Amino acid sequence: MEEAAAQGGYGIERRQRVALLTGLLPALLLLAALTVAPALYLFVVSLTPATPTNPASLTDFSAPAQNYLSALDDERFTESLWVQLKLSASTVAAQTLLGLGVALLLNRRARLVHALRTVFLIPMVLPPIVAALIWKILYTPDVSPLHRALAAVDLPVSSLITNPHTALWAIALADTWEWFPFTMLIILAALQMIPREPVEAAQVDGASPLQLFRYVVLPYIRPAIVVAALFRLIDSIKAFPLIYVLTSGGPGTATQVTNYYAFTQAFNYAYWGYASAIAVMLTAGVFVLSWVIGSRGTVSSTHG
Amino acid sequence: MSSPASRDRRRMLKQAAALGAYALSGNAPLRAAGKPFEGVELNVSCWSAPFPKLLQGYLPEFEQLTGIKVHYDTPGFLIYNQRVDLELSTRGSSYDVLNITFIYVDRWLRSGWFAPLNDFLKDESATPKDWNVDDFLPATRKIMSDKEGHLYGIPWTCDCLMAAAGRYDLMEKMGLAMPRTFDEIDKVAAATNKDGIAGFVGDNRHGWNFPPYLQGFGGNVFRGAPNDLMPTLDTREAIAAADFFSHLLRDYGPNGVLSYSYDQVTAALKQGRGNYATEGHIFLMPAADPDSKEAKTVRYSAFPRGPAGNFPGFATHAWGIPVGAKNKRASWEFIKWAMSKQMMMRAVTEKGYSSPSRRSVIESAEFKKRLLLNDNDVADIYLKTIEVAGGSDYMAYRIVPVFPQVDTLIGQAIERIVSKQMSAADSMRQAQSSAIADLKRAGIRL
Repeated sequence: MEEAAAQGGYGIERRQRVALLTGLLPALLLLAALTVAPALYLFVVSLTPATPTNPASLTDFSAPAQNYLSALDDERFTESLWVQLKLSASTVAAQTLLGLGVALLLNRRARLVHALRTVFLIPMVLPPIVAALIWKILYTPDVSPLHRALAAVDLPVSSLITNPHTALWAIALADTWEWFPFTMLIILAALQMIPREPVEAAQVDGASPLQLFRYVVLPYIRPAIVVAALFRLIDSIKAFPLIYVLTSGGPGTATQVTNYYAFTQAFNYAYWGYASAIAVMLTAGVFVLSWVIGSRGTVSSTHG
Repeated sequence: MSSPASRDRRRMLKQAAALGAYALSGNAPLRAAGKPFEGVELNVSCWSAPFPKLLQGYLPEFEQLTGIKVHYDTPGFLIYNQRVDLELSTRGSSYDVLNITFIYVDRWLRSGWFAPLNDFLKDESATPKDWNVDDFLPATRKIMSDKEGHLYGIPWTCDCLMAAAGRYDLMEKMGLAMPRTFDEIDKVAAATNKDGIAGFVGDNRHGWNFPPYLQGFGGNVFRGAPNDLMPTLDTREAIAAADFFSHLLRDYGPNGVLSYSYDQVTAALKQGRGNYATEGHIFLMPAADPDSKEAKTVRYSAFPRGPAGNFPGFATHAWGIPVGAKNKRASWEFIKWAMSKQMMMRAVTEKGYSSPSRRSVIESAEFKKRLLLNDNDVADIYLKTIEVAGGSDYMAYRIVPVFPQVDTLIGQAIERIVSKQMSAADSMRQAQSSAIADLKRAGIRL
């Protein structure tokens, strides 16, 4: 009797598993078609010297590692990684700190604050190309109200986007303006989830605002800060519109990040194979970061 | 307010005039046979140059007379080239008429991505004799043809490098004439670089603006284009030319000159913020427009000579039919209309177009009158520049398939020098090694 019941239970579990798989299968197939297949094709192309002017090159697998070996030997590629690192580190740090600061300021229950929150979101919801255009105007001395105002008070400033020492930081500033609302939103949501009791208890115990933040608030919102920063880090690797519009990677190659370098190789030079190899390496980097985000998320939810 | 009757009359007269122009352009048989293309839709694209932009205003006439509906767009130069390169490489059929961009001529034509036009030109039912393809300047047709003599594009422009001095009045006071040599450019730029005026203005397409200086110094981009594509960017002549050209931009250019587009050069001249520029003439002409602060003071000249000679840049662009186009006969109908003698003349007389490609238009009294600016016969400078370019192969470097790569590298090299990241020698050596790597990647044997 018990055996039969056990068998029946096993049968139900099995049927449930089959039903689950059957239900998931269309979604899995769609996912494979939409994401895995293009990624695989990118990898396949990266193993060829593909160029559109020579159709045979798309199926030439005689030297599959050539593009990857070339990239390691390509100073412009390695230089672009360094530029990428500087841009990513500066923008993630700035956006996290600014997002945190503004979120702390906006963590109030007042109508005005609520309205301000919406205003702060404007840069993030603008189409990236519009945001880039705004900064192009601001950074172009001929038409910039900023440059004109500074010149009017006898403080003329040289163009920031044509100076190799400032061009990258000018892009970082524009990127921070555009994306700090994202970190602000995530951190603000975390702030609003903090229970009132520990905060009130600390206040009753006479904790200063700094101590309150350091020992009560920060431990609660740390996972959110980490996740927001990692999301921005991934996104910073995909930076494109600002660089395309503001500097085209220049002056020289001062702002040429890896993503932009791959773009020029693919679309200016038609080296699809080589550009695909760079894209595969970038994708691998983003994949690793995604995994880190995933594992951090798991850790925080387990410990939270 | 006009009455409905007078509006109808005006519309009728306008249509009659358009019909007359169309009939003159050799399309009368088509009209007589009704509208064989009624219901056909054409997708047409070109980068945002003056001629395709002004042509847009005339499209309703074409649509009314042929029954063809035209979907037309004019994106920016870089975006256009990238989009079309991708479209053509996949043998797409999204476009029926496309511009053949000068620096992509070899790549796009050699790959067989455009259809030859000879059959249309030979067929009198498709093209009447008086349409006269020979009227297009030989230098431009040669670029759009292959070795077997097949013509793939009908050129709509001749972009010639010239020079303009917006504040020639200041130069006269200083006893300076329009520069005829590179040394004189330096003198003029240095003398006029004060009081809020930039002595020299140039845009950021260094791959177009720099080679005439490079060749003027005795250097070149490649050792012997189109057959020997070994880059020669680090020769003594190339380094001297890069040093000189960068010096002009760095020491006499306006704030932010490295990000200047050609529109900004035009604006700087029109607003009186810049004096001297060597640019494609189409971007220099507006300095003489009535709304320009320099309208009365601007002077024009041919591109000056360097120590090794005179090599003014020259480019042309042309309408062509992609091989994937579905209705090539209708595509040709559009090209024939757009490039008829009458349409080009109307572009000159009605819209002030200053870069025609038909000899009969360039030599017409209307064009000469329009380009007589402050006693400067700019039409004559224009024609002579085209003849200089057409009489020699010095522009061959520009239409080899790997020029886009080197074009970008030249731009980066000049930017490094102007922004003081590197010396001219170091920057050009880096450009040379990068060019060799890129050309090898393209399978070029060096």
